[in-house]
Amino acid sequence: MLAEIASNLSLGLSVAASPEGFLFLVIGAFLGMIVGLFPGFGPAAGIAVLIPMTFGLQPTIAIIMLAGIYYGSMYGGTITSILINTPGESATVASTIDGYPLAQKGRAGPALVMQAIASFFGGTVGVVLITALAPSLANFAASFGPSEYFLIIAVGLLMLTTMMGDNKFKGFISALIGFAVGTVGVDVMSGQQRFTFGSPELIGGVYFVAVAIGLFGIGELLHCVFKGQHRQPAKRLRISFRDKEFWPSKEDYYQSRWTFWRGSGIGFIAGVLPGSGATLGSIIGYSVEKKVAKDPEKFGKGEMRGLVAPEAANNAASAGAMVPLLSLGIPGSGATAVLLGAFLMWGLQPGPLLIVNDPEFVWGLIASMYLGNMILIAMSIFAIPLFVKFLDVPYVNVVPVIVLLCIIGAFAINASIIETWILVVSGLIGFAMKRYGYSPAATVLALVLGSMAEETFLQSYIISQGTMSLFWERPVSLVLFIVLLSIVVLPLVLTLLNRSKNAREGVSNGA
Amino acid sequence: MKKWFAAGLLILSVGYTLYGLGTLTLVTSSGRPAAGFFPLLIGVLMMISCAVNLWGDWREELAQRRSGTLPPHQADPEAEAKADALGVDAHGIDGGMDYSRDVLIVFLYICGFVAIMKPVGAFLAMVLFMLAFLFTFNRAHVVSNLIYSVALPGFLYGLFKVLLNASLPTSPFGF
Repeated sequence: MLAEIASNLSLGLSVAASPEGFLFLVIGAFLGMIVGLFPGFGPAAGIAVLIPMTFGLQPTIAIIMLAGIYYGSMYGGTITSILINTPGESATVASTIDGYPLAQKGRAGPALVMQAIASFFGGTVGVVLITALAPSLANFAASFGPSEYFLIIAVGLLMLTTMMGDNKFKGFISALIGFAVGTVGVDVMSGQQRFTFGSPELIGGVYFVAVAIGLFGIGELLHCVFKGQHRQPAKRLRISFRDKEFWPSKEDYYQSRWTFWRGSGIGFIAGVLPGSGATLGSIIGYSVEKKVAKDPEKFGKGEMRGLVAPEAANNAASAGAMVPLLSLGIPGSGATAVLLGAFLMWGLQPGPLLIVNDPEFVWGLIASMYLGNMILIAMSIFAIPLFVKFLDVPYVNVVPVIVLLCIIGAFAINASIIETWILVVSGLIGFAMKRYGYSPAATVLALVLGSMAEETFLQSYIISQGTMSLFWERPVSLVLFIVLLSIVVLPLVLTLLNRSKNAREGVSNGA
Repeated sequence: MKKWFAAGLLILSVGYTLYGLGTLTLVTSSGRPAAGFFPLLIGVLMMISCAVNLWGDWREELAQRRSGTLPPHQADPEAEAKADALGVDAHGIDGGMDYSRDVLIVFLYICGFVAIMKPVGAFLAMVLFMLAFLFTFNRAHVVSNLIYSVALPGFLYGLFKVLLNASLPTSPFGF
């Protein structure tokens, strides 16, 4: 087993450490850091916008670069969380809680270094676990039938939407919108055209990249304009790693020694679970750390453990999210959905057989993540002054870069002006979704998985002759079906219980 | 606007379902599900959930009108909702005024950019978009705006057209 893993990793390293692979890994990591730096512009948007720039590359090199943007953004996103109390992306929201107070106490340097170390630790633990788990899960998943696949997709989407607090319903609607858009084009089973309105451009369906760039790229950009980011002056910050106060103290390391492990473990599990991802992982990581601490009152006031936990968790989660993507072909978040779209664009068929059919690709990607984390920790510590300088660029000058990349990139894919208009409309819808609490991530996830969901649902329906019994006849299906029911029923039961409890309290107070 | 967006979604979902019912086959002659089966399922679910959603948004607005309070706008509602669900206060990212007019201007500029891209070519369209955008929102820096408006499109045009060999619209002048 270990010998097999070692030989697979050496195969992967021969791809990732090749001059071309290494160069594009560094470029991806660097771009990821920058993507993470700009508030409101997350990894999904970064990957979507930069997909067209990978056209001239080999598929493996292209995906290595895009994956570098994905986990690189987790490193970059925290810099602004710590320095200006504005999370670069949603997975670093929890890092503001203690990160910013640390900076206010004059400990920005140690906070930045500790976040880099925690990110490296979480990311590396995550990749080690991917190395161990992805092949086993792929082997296990090889026995999955259509019912298991449909239920995994349903569980993933439901988890993504039910974790949206009061916005659950809007998350569910967002996913349905994705499914509806996914039905446009020729039906693969019957060959009948659906919702094409006679347009030849729509026969092939609505192209996912244009929608993803629109929802994430233009949508997020319009939301940043809405918040007035383009009217704010640049943040002039200076930080130097030559300062004595830049480095963390021995106490920082000692106090956080178990936090690294806890955060990484929690984050990885959150990442593997479909639908939860890095944002949830970092928030749970923070909550658990506060719960187990003997001095929880220190949290929120500049406690290093309160920064280390979410940072280790969000990086481990971003690695964990690769497990279902690589072994099942099912993404768990918006960013991994865009990555899946990129896989499909490059002709790679994600699923249990990917690891068998394209070992160079899978192991090249995994090996690149080991290297990527090493590059990123070096960048995060020694290039912090450089990345901080990027914050000098006023957002008003960043807007045209994003718009031009989105429009030119979307047009360049198929030289289609219709697709470019689809991008513009998706951008407006993405803005409204973000503004009113819907989930563009759920839409993209459902759009990417729509055809697979339909195919597996219909297969299950036909095999079970319309009774749908396939969903509870097979053991794995049964477990997934119970999970699915729990996700739907449990919140309803809890709400009803809470209501009756409140009503009882109201009556007793009244008496 | 929230309730109007919800109403728009409801109308679209009704349209989607009715159009699907009108144009697609639901079941084959052998009794198997056909091309319209899955869209119908999605359409019905969408209609129900969009109707409930609209009802909720409507009630929320009525409650706000009665109490006279407006909720703070959220920088990232999804992330904040997740944080709230777990009892973590995602502080520091709420509040502030909004810039709806600027959103409209930027969106119109983007539409204009796409509309003129074919007739005038990608390079000129990029330059014109940048000039319009920068001279609307960054008027004070005339010289840097002019340089930036030519340099960035030049770089991107070179990158996509020359390095990546992508197909971009060209102007009557050949670029």
